[in-house]
Amino acid sequence: MLMNQTEEIYRAASPAEFFYRYREIAGFANPVRAMYQTIRELVENALDATDVHGIPPDVKITIRKADETQEFYQITVEDNGIGIPPNIVPNAFGKVLFSSKYAMRQSRGMYGLGVKMVVLYAQMTTGRPVEVITSKANFKRIYYFKLRIDVNKNEPVIIEAGSWRKTRDWHGTIVSVTIEGDWSRAKSRILEYINRTAIVLPYANITLVTPENEIIHYPRIVNTLPKPPVETNPHPHGIDLEILSGLAKNAGFNTIEELLIKSFQGIGDVTAKTILQNAGIDPSKKPSDLTNEELLALVNAIKAYDKFKPPSPKSLSPLGEEIIIAGLKRAYEPEFVTAVSRKPSAYSGHPFIVEVGLSYGGKTPIGEDKPVVLRYANKIPLLYDEASDMVVEVVRDEISWDHYMITFPAPILVLVHVCSTKVPFKGVGKESIADVPELRREVKLAVMEAARELKQYISKKMKEEEAKKKAESIAKYIPEVARSLAIILADESTLQSFKDNISVKLSHIVAKRTGVPLELIQSIVKSIEAEA
Amino acid sequence: MVSTIDASARSKALDIIKSSMRELIDQIERGEKPTLVMPKRTLTNTIYDYKHKMLLLGPELQKRSFTDVNEAKKFMQTLLMASIIYDALRNNEYPTIRDLYYRGKHSITYKSIDGKRVSENTWDEQRESDSVIRDLEVLLSVLREDLLILSKEKGKVVGNLVIRSGDDVIDLSKMGHGAYAIEPTPDLIEFVDIDAEYILVVEKDAVFQQLHRYGFWKKNKAILVTSAGQPDRATRRFVRRLSEEYNLPVYILADSDPYGFYIYSVFKAGSITLSYESERLATPTAKFIGVMMTDIFGDSIFRKIIKDREARKTLEEITPGITDLKPKTPYLSESERSNFIIKAKTRDLERAVELIGYRVAEVCIEEKDAKNKIKKKEGLTGYPWFATPQWVRELCIFFNTLSKLEIEAMASKGLKFLADKYIPEKISTGDWID
Ligand SMILES: Nc1ncnc2c1ncn2[C@@H]1O[C@H](COP(=O)(O)OP(=O)(O)OP(=O)(O)O)[C@@H](O)[C@H]1O
Ligand SMILES: [Mg+2]
Repeated sequence: MLMNQTEEIYRAASPAEFFYRYREIAGFANPVRAMYQTIRELVENALDATDVHGIPPDVKITIRKADETQEFYQITVEDNGIGIPPNIVPNAFGKVLFSSKYAMRQSRGMYGLGVKMVVLYAQMTTGRPVEVITSKANFKRIYYFKLRIDVNKNEPVIIEAGSWRKTRDWHGTIVSVTIEGDWSRAKSRILEYINRTAIVLPYANITLVTPENEIIHYPRIVNTLPKPPVETNPHPHGIDLEILSGLAKNAGFNTIEELLIKSFQGIGDVTAKTILQNAGIDPSKKPSDLTNEELLALVNAIKAYDKFKPPSPKSLSPLGEEIIIAGLKRAYEPEFVTAVSRKPSAYSGHPFIVEVGLSYGGKTPIGEDKPVVLRYANKIPLLYDEASDMVVEVVRDEISWDHYMITFPAPILVLVHVCSTKVPFKGVGKESIADVPELRREVKLAVMEAARELKQYISKKMKEEEAKKKAESIAKYIPEVARSLAIILADESTLQSFKDNISVKLSHIVAKRTGVPLELIQSIVKSIEAEA
Repeated sequence: MVSTIDASARSKALDIIKSSMRELIDQIERGEKPTLVMPKRTLTNTIYDYKHKMLLLGPELQKRSFTDVNEAKKFMQTLLMASIIYDALRNNEYPTIRDLYYRGKHSITYKSIDGKRVSENTWDEQRESDSVIRDLEVLLSVLREDLLILSKEKGKVVGNLVIRSGDDVIDLSKMGHGAYAIEPTPDLIEFVDIDAEYILVVEKDAVFQQLHRYGFWKKNKAILVTSAGQPDRATRRFVRRLSEEYNLPVYILADSDPYGFYIYSVFKAGSITLSYESERLATPTAKFIGVMMTDIFGDSIFRKIIKDREARKTLEEITPGITDLKPKTPYLSESERSNFIIKAKTRDLERAVELIGYRVAEVCIEEKDAKNKIKKKEGLTGYPWFATPQWVRELCIFFNTLSKLEIEAMASKGLKFLADKYIPEKISTGDWID
């Protein structure tokens, strides 16, 4: 008997189609999350177009209800960044996995996916296209595009395009999309995201206009930018067979030796020859002539070579201690604040730097039994998936806060910023950092360093408190002592002036002996005389 | 009206306080921390002066600075007390230590550094103000009586003695059945006339009254004094002055128990806790006339104990000469003894060890139970002025018999016996302990 078998159908899906279907892995699971994610993607692109290129960011976000009956919102993000050449715009916004950020340089974006997810989500919920207005600094014209994505082909479809003459000296990009959202439930997260972004970007002007027409504004309070990252070649230890064969086929070098020297950091003549000798490959061989076995031998020889210099940190752009401190000061008006920017380090050929800020007292939120943790990766605040984050684990479980004289609940907050050419995110939504031992170690050391400073502050403060208490326990008797001496040594008529004179002199003596300001002593003495 | 002697005492006291406080002002004017320097009033700084035979304060000094957190309050209290006493002196008042406590007690309210209103008392208990008075006594090296501070009167005296107290002249031989209550400021008494051979101090008021009514002092030309228990300051000062100024021997008649022995020692050497007063209050020539353990038991018990070589050696180490003691026969018969003596309590045993030291107890006690009771006092060496052959014998007999006897018992044997035989005979034969 013959079974009625259905024919199995095979076909390739385009990346656009894939992410269109599985949008939740990129953070577009529901209207609440999608609205928050949309803001994030647009804002992060805007920031990448500014501070990465040494431009102090001016970013304005406008959220407008776009439909009377349905929960449609028009979200517009405007920046003063480098702009996008008109020939690039369609792919940048309409082709999944098209990016300028695959380079070896720290930026917020890394996948070439973000804004396309937004466009796709808009397409499937409201059907409205993305609108882009952009110009570069040296351009005479401003360009305008309205486009959508052909999901099957993973190609942009231009609906409208145009340009007009620039009348003022403007450069930057305005991106506008209309999506289905849920403002009332997304609002707090979005505000928190903006607030947290502002904490590490005190050098940015950030404005948010809400659907209720509320204006939330974080003005620029610092005029220096973090040093922009410099693009570098990849470190050899970051390599794999795939990358190497790609380079061998396409990079157009004459010899394999030249390829190694020019494509990677830290490989010179001598190193290249040694590695190739170890792999048993003739240095003058044409890269495209290498067999698969030779390529594999080469990858292994590179991996086994242990004399490379660590990856260059030039490609990184840490915030720096001053910026972190300025941001925390504005946010929490803390009693004590400090920041630690660790020296560059590396994991699997990727350089990274861990930075920590610590805010204590003032308006710092209260940590019930552990400090409040603010996580950042490449200057992006991470808000979701806190429980699975390595950084949170380290701060909460690996540091004995009581050693640092903290007794909970306490107003203490720890900000941790990890920057790297490749932050080990747990997912494309960029919400939590995976557990990499090298990273974990640096986070711990940075937090401990900051905590030590806090401890010093607290113990100094306690000493001062003690000195004050000590001064108080003496000063409170000054009037009584002065009065007693006056009774014995002064006449009726000079009693008061005698007493006052002794009181003043004793206050000076006590101030000098205890190292406590005279005013404090005098205020205690006064508070007693007022009673009598 | 204040008597002249009173007025001059006041002006002297005012000057002493003033000059001491002026030193503080000088320090303050120079910007130095004001510091009171006074002899240390601690047991470790209490020494027995063998030459003068009394307890004195040693050479250690105590510095009390206002800027020392641990001393600031005491400093304030000392000055506060000085000012109250000064004020009282100036206003012709006679405060008691209780009055001073109340006058100085008030609250100091201040705003603390954390913004709270805090209140505290200058002092809470009289213990605190009393301690400050003692500090002032050593600081100014005066006694409270010099500052015209009154204490309760307890001591009484009768005898052929005429005194001036205030502006009145009082004949102490004309007190009827009563007696003159020794005034709290014995230094203001003027001795006008006296006809006496010795002073007899009786611990018990009841025995004093019996001897008085019996006419003992008339018959024996004695000044009869009672301290009515633990002697107060005025009684001690009075006895000291009278004996010193008229060169009269002083005999102390107390219970035959460690407590009675201690009362004698307070008269003679001073009190351990208030040694700074001894110089003015102690009577180093005072003699313990009885009741002695040997008056009750004789010395056969003791002689038996020192037959043992080890025991003898131990006791000789404490004081040489125990074998050279004059033999003694008891005043009481076997049956009287068993009627009158009382069994010693643990408290008595402990006090005895404090007086003479643990080793005498160890040698002389036979009863196991009693030995165990004093175990915790091991290591005590006793007071130096008790380390004499006679006292070793007395206390050894006490430890061995675990008995004590009150003077009243001697009186019950017959007042006649006490007044006409026991006391005069002991005095005339020199049967006392010095
Ligand atoms: N506001 C902007 N200004 C300048 N260039 C922009 C802007 N927005 C997007 N781009 C360009 O478009 C590219 C694609 O952006 P997209 O957000 O899709 O990917 P990405 O930012 O590179 O990576 P990721 O997926 O991690 O966000 C960027 O790499 C950038 O070159
Ligand atoms: Mg992006």
